[in-house]
Amino acid sequence: MAFVNSLLSQTVVYATVYTLVSLGIVIAGRTGIFNVSGEGVLLVSASVGFMAAFFSGSWLVGFLAGAAIGALFGLILVFVHETFKVNQFILGIILVILGTGLSDLLYKLVMGVRLTAPMAPSMPVVDIFAAVPIISAILNHDPIVYFMYLMTIVLWWFFYRTKIGLETRAIGESPQAADVVGVNVRRRRYIATIVGSALIGVAGAYLPIYLTGTYNPNMSGGRGFMAVGIAIFASWKPHRALLGGFVFAAVEVLSFQLQLLSDSIPFQFFLMMPFVVVIVIMMVFRKRIEFPASIGKSYSRE
Amino acid sequence: MSGRKILRGFMIYGSSVGAAFAVTLAIIAALGFNVGDAFVTLVSTSFKSAFGFRETIKKTIPLIFTTYAFTIPFMIKFFNIGAWGQMLFGGTVTTVVGLTLAPLGLPGIIMIPLLLMVALAAGAAFALVAGYLKASHDINPIISTIMLNYIAFYFVNFIATSRAFKDPVEGHPITRALPDSATMGFFGGIPHSIILAVLAIVFVYLLIKRTRLGYEITAVGYNLTAAQTYGINFKRTIMVTFILGGALAGLGGGLEVMNIHGKLIEGFAITSGAQYGLFGIVTSLLVAGNPAAVPIAAFLMSVLLVGADALQRTMQIPVEMVFLTQGLIVLFVVVIQERFRQGGK
Repeated sequence: MAFVNSLLSQTVVYATVYTLVSLGIVIAGRTGIFNVSGEGVLLVSASVGFMAAFFSGSWLVGFLAGAAIGALFGLILVFVHETFKVNQFILGIILVILGTGLSDLLYKLVMGVRLTAPMAPSMPVVDIFAAVPIISAILNHDPIVYFMYLMTIVLWWFFYRTKIGLETRAIGESPQAADVVGVNVRRRRYIATIVGSALIGVAGAYLPIYLTGTYNPNMSGGRGFMAVGIAIFASWKPHRALLGGFVFAAVEVLSFQLQLLSDSIPFQFFLMMPFVVVIVIMMVFRKRIEFPASIGKSYSRE
Repeated sequence: MSGRKILRGFMIYGSSVGAAFAVTLAIIAALGFNVGDAFVTLVSTSFKSAFGFRETIKKTIPLIFTTYAFTIPFMIKFFNIGAWGQMLFGGTVTTVVGLTLAPLGLPGIIMIPLLLMVALAAGAAFALVAGYLKASHDINPIISTIMLNYIAFYFVNFIATSRAFKDPVEGHPITRALPDSATMGFFGGIPHSIILAVLAIVFVYLLIKRTRLGYEITAVGYNLTAAQTYGINFKRTIMVTFILGGALAGLGGGLEVMNIHGKLIEGFAITSGAQYGLFGIVTSLLVAGNPAAVPIAAFLMSVLLVGADALQRTMQIPVEMVFLTQGLIVLFVVVIQERFRQGGK
């Protein structure tokens, strides 16, 4: 039981990364911006967030810095797309390349080479449910886990229970129609993409500050791309992004565990599992996936 | 090509490269390095010594293959981010077949063509997975090819550490050496694989410009609805472009194994701090997916990579600086191209 509880607890931690990134992709997607830059944003915010936390001695400053650099990447994406109508996928890929390069570049320039790995300041952890299994696995965590739960609820409420949220969803379906009823399409796209990328930035900072305690090159390990798969699986619905985040996190945690348990099957095949699962899930759920109708397309009034 | 068009191209690339260099050099200056030295090192290392030039060609060859791997599916507007995985898979399967056949003692005249076919087939098969997933399940190739990259990465690790193939004295994931009959030589430091790169350039050019298949690919990319009206099978075209792109990336991987390393080394498809697949995407975007311009673009990108390696060696400027330069060049190029496209022809 303790073992299951510990697996579940680890799953929640990884789900925090997956869910925050896919929520970020979901928000932008609802206004028609298909943001595939997640992997690059994760890396650059991991690097910047870690260094901010390290030098300030405050984990909170680290997350704010991660969110800020994420927001900056979002701003570049939406500005270049809206102003010059450059294809969103091309921009996303360019941002992945820039983010990958900048993360290591900034780290090497600022931190240099050190004999011992610099460690991030530790985060407070809720510990009041220790006696209760399952509940403790879900709730005995750091503030970012709570932030992830809160964002899922807030975004669900926003998109499905508020007028502004309804309007924002309308942009994703038909920017022309939203424009006609007086919604400022361009402004919403800016806000959604910037806020979304800031969330991805928080997830990026979470990797070094909580998950590993220190920064490593390429530490996102493809999760930024897998989160795109989650957003698609979730049909751009926040609550389903949470579900997808948990499923992918569970697969990742299980693949690590099974690798330790099995002698006969080479461990590399377990490490491939999460990536195979992404493809399989998309094959299985393809029929039930709905895309916002205008996603990926540029919009200009005329 | 009209004079105006050449002038336009010159303006696009001149201003983009200029702006990207300006940003890079401004950062280098802000960090307190000598800008003049950095610039000269970045652009001239390839031409200052025979070693620099050979290194440039060694990077250009695999880069040509991964650039085509992105370019051909991109002609029909699909993103093959999986050149890296296709390269890894091609190189790995080539190694497995080469080491397995080694005891037979086949001569090079049989072994080398056979392994080249294996590399082509392995890359094609691996890319076909993504092409098939798009054609039959409508799964975005951006997702599937990236997932396949990671799968290929662990496959390399599996083979390079497996009891059957690993080098028993190496600590890193490296296989035993291929037999001499399975490796290729050098012309005064230039790898023989350059012949295959040239053949690939000619092949792609003729395929696109002179064959029915190339015409179909161009037609689908230009206007899908019209192409389908004329009876072109879109799903088949998708799979064909992925097969072609993947085969070339796979060949690139096989050649790295057979010509450069002589064995499978984890990380063999990485250069100047990033994998060839990523650099291939940048190179392809730079030439707006025009296959004829790929060789020269790949060469120029390799000049920058070799320059960036030298910057790290001689001035301690991290090699990742080159990502910034290349990323910015391609960002500026796509922006300006889009401006010209909308501003009338």
